[in-house]
Amino acid sequence: MDGLNDLTSFEIMSSSSIPTEASQLEILASGASMHAKAVACQKIVYVAGPKSIGPLAALLSDKHLSDYARSGLEVIEDPAASQALLEALSNLKGRQLAGVIHSLGVRREKKAVPALGKLAADETHGVQAEAIASLGMIGSEEAADVLGPIIAKGKEPLKSDAGHAALIAAGHLAAEGNAGAAERLAKELQTVFPEGPIHDASIHLSVGGSK
Amino acid sequence: MMKISTNRRQFLKTTALTFGIPTFIPASALGRDGHVAPSNRIVIGAIGIGPRGRQVLSCFLKEKDVQFVAIADVQESRRETVRRMVLRAYDRDDCVKYRDMDELLARDDIDATLICTGDHWHALASMRAAKAGKDIYCEKPCSMTIGETQDLADTVKRYQRVFQAGTQRRNVENFRYACDLATTGKLGRIHTVHAGILALREDFSWLPEEPLPASEEVNWDAWLGPAPWRPYNEKYVQGRWRGYYDFNGGATLPEWGAHTIDLCQLAAGADGTAPVEYEAIDDNTIQAKYASGIKLVMRLAGFKGEGDWVVPGTCPIRFEGDEGWVEAADSGGIASNPKTLVKDFPRGGLSGTDPTKHVRDFLDCVKSRKQPAANADVTRYGHIVSHAASIAWRVGRKVRFDPVGETFIDDAEANRMIRRALRAPWTA
Repeated sequence: MDGLNDLTSFEIMSSSSIPTEASQLEILASGASMHAKAVACQKIVYVAGPKSIGPLAALLSDKHLSDYARSGLEVIEDPAASQALLEALSNLKGRQLAGVIHSLGVRREKKAVPALGKLAADETHGVQAEAIASLGMIGSEEAADVLGPIIAKGKEPLKSDAGHAALIAAGHLAAEGNAGAAERLAKELQTVFPEGPIHDASIHLSVGGSK
Repeated sequence: MMKISTNRRQFLKTTALTFGIPTFIPASALGRDGHVAPSNRIVIGAIGIGPRGRQVLSCFLKEKDVQFVAIADVQESRRETVRRMVLRAYDRDDCVKYRDMDELLARDDIDATLICTGDHWHALASMRAAKAGKDIYCEKPCSMTIGETQDLADTVKRYQRVFQAGTQRRNVENFRYACDLATTGKLGRIHTVHAGILALREDFSWLPEEPLPASEEVNWDAWLGPAPWRPYNEKYVQGRWRGYYDFNGGATLPEWGAHTIDLCQLAAGADGTAPVEYEAIDDNTIQAKYASGIKLVMRLAGFKGEGDWVVPGTCPIRFEGDEGWVEAADSGGIASNPKTLVKDFPRGGLSGTDPTKHVRDFLDCVKSRKQPAANADVTRYGHIVSHAASIAWRVGRKVRFDPVGETFIDDAEANRMIRRALRAPWTA
């Protein structure tokens, strides 16, 4: 495997070694080893700003560095980081696509709901479960609306995936002042899942367990 | 107590057919000879059992109301070691081995799980177990980040599971005695609590790449799970993963902090909150302050007597009030000033690493549905303190923390360390 034969160098951080953004971007732009670039992605998390979005997004299709790049993109406050992840949805497949879907959920990016809804219904990409989970993490009413039909008519295991995701969404809705939508979701779950963990959790949710 | 459902009965029947379990059923299995009848046993499966896991598992196997039925591990050598442990304990060869934890969690007959994977899997495996409706005993540290800590506690609460972190010192006599002295006013007004910690470190290096073993022997992809990819090296799967940033959260501070800070939280009356300020004094000392004014000092201890501690042993703690102090450590020892405070302490209790009573506490709570000593809420705040302190060390300056919102105040840099990205497709 190219670029891996110089991985024995030890690097132990002390409490005074937070790097600058520029120094880490320099590593990412260089011919440094995969290890050096991976660590640069991890250290840039502390300091990454808009300048880091492009270089990190460029790594999203990399088999091994994609996950490292997402660690930076998940925390950059600039909306352009979400935009970069959204644009990557149409260019990626497999694990790299699954990772970007998860990052959009972590960022609770509401603009991603339509795209995630399509992926949740699309059997060809193999990321239905990941899209469903991210819709739950986003937890908006629109995201809950996408989950509804999967809960009602979907096949297992996606039906249960959507049930678990809906519980998280209901928690977000209740915490953000939309108790009515949370309650409707909880009631629907109780109906569709007459027993088991999702049923029990939805009853707990109905009696105020999300507070 | 643990009523066997139709599904469980069906599973046992199917399993017996599939795996050729002999039809001879010993008296112990039928509840005779002083044994607990199957319908009253807690059926348990384990996920990820290494050396520490075997210590904890041996405690479970000794309990008469436990029926251990399955092991899931990504390493065949470890699966086989557990199968043999169970064979020796039960004189029956019916422990089912799984490569994939989800297959174990899909079994309707399993009530609870023992999770002793590497740290980077603890929270995710626990959350998967909770979603499957299982109660959970999970080794510490239970999370890699503050975010995972929150997700874990929220998930356990959402599915109303019984959760016990493997912070067994809450059920070890000398530590409990010291905490009781603090919480009952015997030390006067508590002003400082001390937690022993290991030297902090974050190692970003990778070991040299070695050829991948057959996935039936070691599934490296699954071993890594949510941790970032790195090339395979046998040392990791043999247990030498500690200290690496990708596998040890909180700069290794939670390694002992999960125990010692947890006990300081209890002694400070702070089980439902966290300090509001943290500052690294040097590379091995972090000071924090609760809203109550009580000071938490996290300072160096070690395996060779490092640090300025009175009582010998690992994982020391010390509580100071305006009328006295008490100190305890894993040796089982306890010391105080005035000395009369510990004159009634009965010698000969458990060592700090012995989980016997902690396991029993968990099993009793599985039956009663009460909260065990190291439940998910207690663990939430204790682990948050560990991670927040390590973040203060990382940024090298004082940070302020909101224990209600569970975020750092006016500190974007520190808040970026609350979570780490999970490697796809490994999630809860």
